[in-house]
Amino acid sequence: MSALHLAWRTVRRYRAQTILAIAGVAVIGALLFDMLLLSRGLLLSFADLLEHAGYDVRIVGGGGMTLRMPIPDSAAIADAVRRLPETETVVLVRILPARLAAPGGKSSASVALIGVSGAAAGAWTIVRGVDLDRASGDACPVILGRSLAARVGVGPGDHVRINAEQVGVSSALPAITCRIVGVGQFAFGGAGDDTVATTLDALHRASGEDRVGDADLILVASRPAAGSAAAVAAIQRARPGLAVYSNDEVVEQFNRNGFAYFRQISLVLSSLTMVFAFLLVATLLTVSVNQRLGEIAALRAIGIGRSRIAAMLLWESALLVGVGGLLALPLGELLALGLDRILRQMPALPEQLHFFVFEPRALVIHIAVLVVTAVAAAAYPMWITARMPIAATLRREVVG
Amino acid sequence: MDIVRANDVSRVFPMPAGPVAALRRVSLAIGAGEHVAITGPSGCGKSTLLHLLGGVDAPTDGSIVFEGRDLASLSEPERGRLRLTRIGFVFQRFFLLPMLTAAENIELPQAEAGAATSARRSRTRELLAYVGLTDRADHLPSQLSGGEMQRAAIARALANRPALLLADEPTGELDEATSDTIADLFDRVNADGTAILVVTHNPSLASRASRRLAMRSGRLVA
Repeated sequence: MSALHLAWRTVRRYRAQTILAIAGVAVIGALLFDMLLLSRGLLLSFADLLEHAGYDVRIVGGGGMTLRMPIPDSAAIADAVRRLPETETVVLVRILPARLAAPGGKSSASVALIGVSGAAAGAWTIVRGVDLDRASGDACPVILGRSLAARVGVGPGDHVRINAEQVGVSSALPAITCRIVGVGQFAFGGAGDDTVATTLDALHRASGEDRVGDADLILVASRPAAGSAAAVAAIQRARPGLAVYSNDEVVEQFNRNGFAYFRQISLVLSSLTMVFAFLLVATLLTVSVNQRLGEIAALRAIGIGRSRIAAMLLWESALLVGVGGLLALPLGELLALGLDRILRQMPALPEQLHFFVFEPRALVIHIAVLVVTAVAAAAYPMWITARMPIAATLRREVVG
Repeated sequence: MDIVRANDVSRVFPMPAGPVAALRRVSLAIGAGEHVAITGPSGCGKSTLLHLLGGVDAPTDGSIVFEGRDLASLSEPERGRLRLTRIGFVFQRFFLLPMLTAAENIELPQAEAGAATSARRSRTRELLAYVGLTDRADHLPSQLSGGEMQRAAIARALANRPALLLADEPTGELDEATSDTIADLFDRVNADGTAILVVTHNPSLASRASRRLAMRSGRLVA
């Protein structure tokens, strides 16, 4: 007749109290679990997006990753980087605001026009039509974001007119006609997905730039045998002074700056939920022990050891927190799905970015926090029973 | 040979209005196989004396010697072990664990004493038969009558074959007929060799004892 057996029979006997405690822990545990998913969710999702884009090194201009400025002489830099044995693919990327008009001027939209020197595999997924590298012969092939194509009412084979704009510069450049070769899902595109991709040459024509202009970003895929760290080091050796980052460094930079807010919020809320769980279970256990003081004093009187009674209370706490904590996982997952759907409706966020992302670390922390909560919640009732004066308690119970 | 001896014991309880002396220099010895009853009005110190003899409370002055060992010299775990194996307690309110069956309540002190599962099952069956509860073995206390609960509590107290059974108002919550049944059971337990100290208001129960003592204001008077 172990302490666990006694605890199990006790929680079964006090059913209403048990259900209340388990339900409370499940709800609080679900919130705790969600806070853990949120604390690193954006970061993990962002890292995943970068990873799936297929490039593990980024060269940016002055201003670093957050304040993007053109990279002077980027074509020459790209050639130099391409020749390095540590690199495999190099893609120049130029981004300009533009105006897109449907045939006949029926509808138009402000878009982000991305020019790339190559297919830029991974930056988007073709859902209809073909990619830029398979559109031979077109002077200005374009890929439209899925929702933009639907909104403007065009598809592969249609023509659109595009006016590229230089930030802060008035332009009287005529619009150029481009042919839609594909409709795609952009990895970094938002829910509105007002993104248009084309070749770098076509972008230069649309913007009136008279040379292969300065790219905003150079994407580099390192050779698998070398790895991103070696590629970054090689690029920095070849072109000192360039701002070169591996994906890990980009993620770390965002972790320090962009996502610290979420981490802090989730830390505060996690701590609060843990305190709530502790208070709930500790209160219920303390009330339960106070109701059973006579029984417990009698147990001590007949020689049942303090350790067995303490272990019984610890198991009671563990059962309540354990079952509640287990139920918290599916509940938290459901809640996270709903909250994620709401948060992802925020404008200008990449559609594939998620706020709540599961990782084994979150589960381990969830379990560890609940174990600590169970032990802490049982501590006071255990202390009451260990310190209780047996004779005085029995006397009070009989007189009462 | 004495099982337990109280030597000039006093017990003073500190109270907000000033200390209250519940026991004043009481001496008492209970020998093996004796059946002793203590009677007296409420608050005269009967239960306090019983608690001191059973090692669940300590005297302010004097000493309690159980089977030759001064209880003050024992640690709390040692006193707990002594209560588990050498003393049986029977309470007015039974104090059976409500989530355990009658049989499980009887098994619990045996499990604490380290008895093997088969041995404690066998002893439990024997005790259930002894107190006439064989057919109630799997019933929870809430499914038993007051008399049945007290019989189960007596069986629990006898589980580890104690030398001394201490009963505090064991018929306090029972009607007259049921009280007689419990008194008969105590007689049988005593006849089988276990010493009994019962504190009670019940004259019929006290009359069964071979030695009857009375208490007044913290003192033994007869």
